[in-house]
Amino acid sequence: MSPSRSPARFIRETVEDVRLVARGWRWGRRPLVPGSAEPFQPPKQQTVFPTAWARTPVANAVRDVVQRFGLAPLLRSTVRPQVAGLDVLTRVRPPVLFVANHSSHLDTPMILCTLPDEWRRKTTLAAAADYFFDTWWRATGSAMVFNTFPLERRGGTPSSTPGDLLDEGWNVVVYPEGTRSVDGWMGRFKMGAAWLAVEHKVPVVPIAIRGSYAAMPRGRSWPQPGRLPVRIRYGEPIWPAEDESPRSFAPRIRDAVARLLDEDHTTWWEATRRAARGETPDPAGPPVATWRRIWAQTAPPVSQRSRSVWR
Amino acid sequence: MSRPGFVLEVDDRTPPLIVHEGEGFRLEQFPIGTRVVYPPETLPGIADVDGAIRHALEHPENSEPLRALLRPGMRLTIAFDDVSLPLPPMQRPDIRQRVIEQVLTMAAEAGVDDVQLIAALALHRRMTPGELQYVLGERVYRSFAPSGLLYNHDAEDPDNLEFIGTTDQGEEVEINKRAATSDLLVYVNINLVPMDGGHKSVPIGLASYRSLRHHHNSHTMVHSRSFMDVEKSAMHHSAWRMGRLLAKHVKIFTIETTLNNHVFPAPYDFFNKREWEWSVRDQATMLAARRGLALAPPKLKRRIFQSIRAPYGVTGVHAGETEAVHEKTLKNVFRQQAVEVQGQSDVLIMGVPYLGPYNVGAPMNPILATCMGLGYFFNSYRGKPLVRKGGAVILYHPVPYEFSQLHHPSYVDFFEEVLAESTDPAVIEQRFEKQYATDPWYIHLYRTSYAYHGVHPFYMWYWAAHAMDHVGDVVWVGANRKTVQRMGFRAASTLADALEMVSDTVGRSPSLTYTHNPPHLIADVR
Repeated sequence: MSPSRSPARFIRETVEDVRLVARGWRWGRRPLVPGSAEPFQPPKQQTVFPTAWARTPVANAVRDVVQRFGLAPLLRSTVRPQVAGLDVLTRVRPPVLFVANHSSHLDTPMILCTLPDEWRRKTTLAAAADYFFDTWWRATGSAMVFNTFPLERRGGTPSSTPGDLLDEGWNVVVYPEGTRSVDGWMGRFKMGAAWLAVEHKVPVVPIAIRGSYAAMPRGRSWPQPGRLPVRIRYGEPIWPAEDESPRSFAPRIRDAVARLLDEDHTTWWEATRRAARGETPDPAGPPVATWRRIWAQTAPPVSQRSRSVWR
Repeated sequence: MSRPGFVLEVDDRTPPLIVHEGEGFRLEQFPIGTRVVYPPETLPGIADVDGAIRHALEHPENSEPLRALLRPGMRLTIAFDDVSLPLPPMQRPDIRQRVIEQVLTMAAEAGVDDVQLIAALALHRRMTPGELQYVLGERVYRSFAPSGLLYNHDAEDPDNLEFIGTTDQGEEVEINKRAATSDLLVYVNINLVPMDGGHKSVPIGLASYRSLRHHHNSHTMVHSRSFMDVEKSAMHHSAWRMGRLLAKHVKIFTIETTLNNHVFPAPYDFFNKREWEWSVRDQATMLAARRGLALAPPKLKRRIFQSIRAPYGVTGVHAGETEAVHEKTLKNVFRQQAVEVQGQSDVLIMGVPYLGPYNVGAPMNPILATCMGLGYFFNSYRGKPLVRKGGAVILYHPVPYEFSQLHHPSYVDFFEEVLAESTDPAVIEQRFEKQYATDPWYIHLYRTSYAYHGVHPFYMWYWAAHAMDHVGDVVWVGANRKTVQRMGFRAASTLADALEMVSDTVGRSPSLTYTHNPPHLIADVR
């Protein structure tokens, strides 16, 4: 390596080096581990990032401004949010457990920006500790803007935070799949949400989100251009029955989300009749080739009810 | 808990990887599918090193405790590894100092008066007073050096060499007279790689050319597969025969030490880490280092690299009878360096760093770069080489036409005269070795200055004999074309060019393996 004699050459090589490092180490994006190195990664440190500060009155006030005048306009400028079923919130009182299918980073802003203000201000989110709380700056930003708290999804002792928050009157958003869908279809629901609802005796409000995978699937850090529609539908709250176990309540939650997805795809009446017949389409999708599953989910959602009734 | 070494398969998630190339390094984006062999992570060092030394001396392997071997009126000689170990030199205090201080303390308590210390350097250059003081510490140096009781071994001083005898294979054993005629010879080693230590210490470190030529030759090196695998190394077999003969004549108490892989201190510690685990700070430091090196004049770069002192931890101290000790030592070395690799590849890629055993305080000349790449790194395997027979080796090093006139005078002539005639180790050995080995000027420089012996460049060339015999093509990336051409190799500007050049040998889609060292690793190739 000969010394760079000319300043221009030195600057050019410096720019090349910085570009190489920025690309190689994915500056601004999440670093990746080579596939063959994953078995040799050290276990993550089990440190719980404190988020109580993010629920203080001052932080709540700041977040309110950020969400109303920052997040919501940004969301509307990049996608076309379409919300339905908010009237269910008039029939229930906080705290509730919002449970949604999860296929995109758009899902959280979609929920927060479509909830009525008085609900949004009292809503907090369970976020993956290993993903959103792996660095201090990501953890701080996530807790500040989205009112998240860390939830360990790799086992270990169950966190007491979501239960404590429900007891304090906060609504909690949980994605029972634990991670974003890899192909847009719904995955297996874990037991955590059902356990929380049963343990703390709170209703579950199912939420179905369609189109977020098409607008911003895994791997994208910004929505697709073209303001694609993303639909969100709130469903009727469901309560765990007296002495119902989380194991039997969990399928009911999943069925509720599945039925909501069907309802959004067709109509309330059709979905209700199909549900009565036990013919609600499986939200996990058909067992076909991966590309076909992705192909189906990358099509923007079309609502049956968008047609004019006067036609 | 230190993680084991492993083989990475480069995929689209893999960032560019560090490749050492002399007094610098580059980031290389290897083709998808390239195997990259990473050494195990640094093992934790022993917390109480002095306690471990004391325990080893009090409870030796297959021997009485050192204290029981010491008595008033005896002749005690302490020999120790020279400046070629460890690499880079370790931060103070050097482990040799810590061991020797305890040995001397015991000797003083036992009333031993006749003590001499000898740097066992064979045909290497002599250690400077500064280096002796750095390695042994001020106390030892001040107590012995001024009165001439701490000195360098002189393999060309006929009055101070003792002929011991001949092995059953006809190998002559001749070593330092003072060591051979002592009541007790204590040898203090640093076993950086599996090649070191055992019977390689005394019969080679304190030997003369007459003795060394029996195993330091092209035939032995071609049949040492590898010389990092003691059991399959013809060189070690010869040294072991000599050592066993020697053990019948002089009582040897061997003290061997092993170090961990903590080679690079801050701020260069990003070299010790796996690239995808670099923090933002590591990335910034690496960028600063790269751009700083691009600006730095050559002398400053050399000073920066040569001033690196490794914060090694000590992983083991064993003392006693040589072979029993060495067995334990090797276990420690392999615990730190061994990586299992499945199968050979068509191309082996290696980055040659700034430092080898023979250029401490000097530039790495073309012969030493070859010795480091095709000698040490290529031979860092057990089982079979990482590259298939007839495959290709790609090395990274600038290979400048640069020699230290102080340390390597015979290398210049070897490069200009000998390599101009032939690059075949066997031919070179037959036609030129004796002339260089007996040249009075080189002998004079070896004995009175700080020059490697006249025959030393031949040995370095033999070191690479096995690789030259095994592979079909050698290409250096980023090298001076003229110097590598003289050595019978070719130069390429980039890895892509090098792969293009070796495509005649290994085809258009060869399997590639890159060994990510330093820190040092030994590939257990299945």
